[in-house]
Amino acid sequence: METAITIQDLVPLLPVLVVTGVAVLAMLLIALKRNHTLIGATTIIGLGLALITAFLVLPFAGQQVTPLLMIDNFSLFFTIVILLAAGFIAVFSFPYLYHLKDEVEEYYLLLLIATIGALIMVSSNHFLSAFLGLETLSISLYAMIAYPLHSKEAVKFPVEASLKYLVLSAVSSALILFGIALLYAQTGSLQFTELAMTGGSVADGYFITALVLLFAGVGFKLSLAPFHMWTPDVYEGAPLPATMYLATVGKAAMMVLLLRFVVASQALSFHSVVVVIGCMAVLSILAGNLLALVQENLKRILAYSSIAHMGYLLIALIALDDASTRLGVEAISFYLIAYIVMSLGAFGVATVISSSEKEFDFVADYQGLFWREPWLALLLTAMLLSLAGIPLTVGFIGKFYVVLAGVEGSLWGLLLVLVVGSGISIYYYLRIVYRMLLQPQLDQAYREAGWDSIGSYAVLALLLALLLLLGVYPGFLMSIIEVVSVSI
Amino acid sequence: MQAIPFEQGLMLAAALFALGLIGVLTRRNVVFVLMCLEIMLNACGLAFVVSSARWQHADGQIMFLMILTLAAAEVAVGLGLIIQMFRKFQTVDINVLTQMRG
Repeated sequence: METAITIQDLVPLLPVLVVTGVAVLAMLLIALKRNHTLIGATTIIGLGLALITAFLVLPFAGQQVTPLLMIDNFSLFFTIVILLAAGFIAVFSFPYLYHLKDEVEEYYLLLLIATIGALIMVSSNHFLSAFLGLETLSISLYAMIAYPLHSKEAVKFPVEASLKYLVLSAVSSALILFGIALLYAQTGSLQFTELAMTGGSVADGYFITALVLLFAGVGFKLSLAPFHMWTPDVYEGAPLPATMYLATVGKAAMMVLLLRFVVASQALSFHSVVVVIGCMAVLSILAGNLLALVQENLKRILAYSSIAHMGYLLIALIALDDASTRLGVEAISFYLIAYIVMSLGAFGVATVISSSEKEFDFVADYQGLFWREPWLALLLTAMLLSLAGIPLTVGFIGKFYVVLAGVEGSLWGLLLVLVVGSGISIYYYLRIVYRMLLQPQLDQAYREAGWDSIGSYAVLALLLALLLLLGVYPGFLMSIIEVVSVSI
Repeated sequence: MQAIPFEQGLMLAAALFALGLIGVLTRRNVVFVLMCLEIMLNACGLAFVVSSARWQHADGQIMFLMILTLAAAEVAVGLGLIIQMFRKFQTVDINVLTQMRG
């Protein structure tokens, strides 16, 4: 097997290489001179450069770079999505960290390294690269979650959140690894596609054990019930930009990896695996939506709602069982983008009024926001309505797509749970909107919007525009997704 | 020399893995939890080495090297966090990490 890397191989890897280069550059700049503005700008410009190169290498798509990475249209599409999301989060982080009385520059380094991991994950079709990407992302996230641990004023628990995440994430990595080891023991290869080729010759029970271990580990990472216990605590304890990163890039990269694995390995041809995933979907939707009802903390509500959203995505994943159609892949891709836009927007509003000294994450803190900050309140309302799946927003189209995929696969029971779950979810989203309309309590002093927040407001406006544009006129994105999902 | 049967190697790995998992779930001391995580990861490594001996190629052994690297990185961050935890709470008992309720 020829595995030497040539120049032709390096071209499709350019986006990853650019991000790596920027990470090294940022590290050297920190060593030379500590300057928050300089490092922040380097990170944001670097991610922008990587985004441009991702567009430039589109003509080279469809290339297997060493046995480890497959750069095709689908992976480049999600490379672009992840770079955009990471860039937006860097913009949000800048004003948030501005007042942190500690060294803040390394935060951007961690963000860049986590992004490298996510980019590797979306382009891997080999267990080794998938695993390395996953761990690069996770280990950077431990540090990002614990970042403000010297902050005296912060009313949050970064060390607790980070240790919880570390232990559970390591357990789930070990579960995934043991699953991979069992698969490797039988098939003798670490390629995703090998399972589909040798699937017939080995006893089913063996593969099912391995796949259930694998899906349990993935369930931890995607915070699917019954492996969701850590999610609300980690979301609450982490600083807002890290929560945002974990909720959007972390989840999306894992979901894309799972999608690639399921399509390549035809893991859904085992009926018991489908049953396991179906149970996880039902439990996630019900647990996520029901537990969110009693929460008073915005971050915890969004954590439980993310559990439910991942449950909806699993329905589209099961619909892939019927391999004659690409609808499941398209539904997951569209829903992931919708989910990233909505989550970034909702967390973004919380980020622009919070700072590392004081986070406003209780629903009570948002009381009367309509009278104090009408535009922000309007934005948050749009994001929450979209999360609930109200028409004219991107969340509605995403949910519609998932339902369509479910109907195609005749998954009537699961669709019923989805409808019930969405019904419940409207209550807790609208409760936040209602609180924003009440008389304001003027004792909370939100962070003053200075020059450093201009970028955040621009990104929020962009997210709102995307939310409405994709909600009213989704055809453009749908046709792109149709084209790219052919390649996987 | 009699080679170790492949199935027995996997059994040993599975037993180690189970022991590690039980340790993670029952231990109250964070340092022991990290050690049990290490046992779980190394059990996976053993399974890879045994399998790669069965197939007579090096893929599994390379995977084991990667697992070693990962475990080292994981423990480095973990121990750093434990030091911070000890400074803050003066203990490494996992029961103090229950400030968040909801």
